[in-house]
Amino acid sequence: MERIILIIALGVLFFTSCQKDDDSPKTSLYELKRPDYFPEIAYPIEKNPITQEGFELGKKLFNDARLSLDNSVACSNCHVKGVAFTDPQHNPSVGIFDQTGTRNAPMIANMAFQSEFLWDGGVSHLDFVSVFAIENEKEMGEELGHVVQKLNDISEYPSLFKNAFPEIDTITSPYMLQAIAQYMLLLVSDNAKYDRVQRGEDSFSTQEMEGLQIFEQKCANCHSGALFKNGEFMNNGLDSVFTDVGRELISAQESDLGKFKVPSLRNVMLTSPYMHDGRFKSIEEVMEHYRSGVKPSNSLAIELNNNGQLGIPLTDEEIEKLILFLETLTDYEFISNPIF
Amino acid sequence: MNKLLFSILFVGISIFMVSCGDDDSQQKDPGVIEIEFDNIALVNGVQRQLSLVTPGSADYNYTNGMGQDFNINLLRYYISNIKLEGPNGEVFEDHVHVEASGTEGIYLVDESDLSTGVITLNDVPAGEYNKITFTVGVEENGVQEGAAGGNLDPATCNMFWNWNSGYIAVKFEGQSPVSAGGTSGSETLDANNQKGILYHIGGWRDVDGTAFVYNNKTLSFDFDTNARVENGQQPHVHMVFDVLTLFNGVNMIDFTGNNNVHKPVDGVPAAENIPGAFAFDHIHQ
Repeated sequence: MERIILIIALGVLFFTSCQKDDDSPKTSLYELKRPDYFPEIAYPIEKNPITQEGFELGKKLFNDARLSLDNSVACSNCHVKGVAFTDPQHNPSVGIFDQTGTRNAPMIANMAFQSEFLWDGGVSHLDFVSVFAIENEKEMGEELGHVVQKLNDISEYPSLFKNAFPEIDTITSPYMLQAIAQYMLLLVSDNAKYDRVQRGEDSFSTQEMEGLQIFEQKCANCHSGALFKNGEFMNNGLDSVFTDVGRELISAQESDLGKFKVPSLRNVMLTSPYMHDGRFKSIEEVMEHYRSGVKPSNSLAIELNNNGQLGIPLTDEEIEKLILFLETLTDYEFISNPIF
Repeated sequence: MNKLLFSILFVGISIFMVSCGDDDSQQKDPGVIEIEFDNIALVNGVQRQLSLVTPGSADYNYTNGMGQDFNINLLRYYISNIKLEGPNGEVFEDHVHVEASGTEGIYLVDESDLSTGVITLNDVPAGEYNKITFTVGVEENGVQEGAAGGNLDPATCNMFWNWNSGYIAVKFEGQSPVSAGGTSGSETLDANNQKGILYHIGGWRDVDGTAFVYNNKTLSFDFDTNARVENGQQPHVHMVFDVLTLFNGVNMIDFTGNNNVHKPVDGVPAAENIPGAFAFDHIHQ
């Protein structure tokens, strides 16, 4: 019996080491992989194949404050890795000249599987997401053309671009945007406890299981699928009068007034503050909003209006269990991945 | 058996290929055609060359349909998806190709650089052409390919909307003494300029069943004579764009309101004037 175990153990060892030899770490680390229970990859990856050089250039740009007007704000100022690329410090986030914006910095994770970006969905391709932040006068406040000029003048960048994109001699904006996109594309969060359970490597506790059941019954209509979002724009009853028109700005459709993108709940326990304007600091406040704070308006999500009863009925005990389930969506490997 | 089958197939394919080759050799070589977009002001039926003024100039050299004086600092627009057709079934489509390294098939006509108004189409099959179709603006095939170089480079084209990602189709900037003011987002005027008239007309999302505002225009024009494309011939098709019709077409544009246009829905009245502003003028064979 012991011999059999030994043989199996040796076999596993052998097999594991073989696998490591076969997969060169370079290709496996910098390859965009879709877990089979995730949505399809939305990004046209053949237009911008990810390489280690391109990814690392994108990472460097993401962390370089020289992309902003006064060289003070990098992408990573408001998208901090340790909290799933959100902003834990400021509410709302702070841009150049200490200006505050009006919207909450959203999580950057699983971007490869999405096709509409920003709270109002105004950007429809990942390449263009960074243009918004760079040029927004309250965020990085810089002209894209001037950023490109700065990069050409910073001694280390031209050769880094040449390594990532051998066909170019001068840095131009599309290559900069593609490099940043390569970085964001690989920011895949698929290693939370929830994912390990999906893969059969772990199991929920009884309370987490009960939390999941409450979640499926009361939350999963909108926070659906493997990304815990339905890809739609909805009004979740934060206001009756809207200071931010939300989706209506893009769609020009009155019925979209006050609607915002349903956010992913992956890593939600890390991504405080909550809502498009960051008005709630704790997950308990969010739960209380859905239980007792939903305000009426014409565009209110039908899921939050049960024959005139606004909100979602929740007991304290249900809220506790929901939070225990939400904790299984925290991906510690994602926020500590050394290559990100 | 297999060998026999292969031999038959081989012979068959060879004959087919040779015969195809024969047909090709009888065809004339493809040629070149130039399409020129000339921006004009049509005053009392007379075409006048457009004149741009220095931003901020108090020299108002044009008048709109409501009798309001104005001048022009900037006029720039995209032409894409050009298609030529002929009386004998000739068809040439100028394919749009969008890459980080450059853009083909999407042209940016800028009044401040007249050479941009001449679009040279190469490899046009020999034949006669008497109809042109093109889109004013950049369609989904230029936006959803992602970051692009050349005419679509968002850092250099000055036509990209970062908040509603896509390209302005027609960008007009100028001044009018009756302007209601407001020049946010101007390329040529200071933000505190009180006389600005800015028409950034765009909106490419064309989705059935939604209210997205689509402001690109696809237009077709017949030529009065045939343009003959063949080796040694380089016909030149002359199109005109009348700026006055942009403000004095199916809709009268009033500079005392909605004169700081930066989103699709606000650009609709001027966008509806775009088809009438373009016209075929003449051909040099």
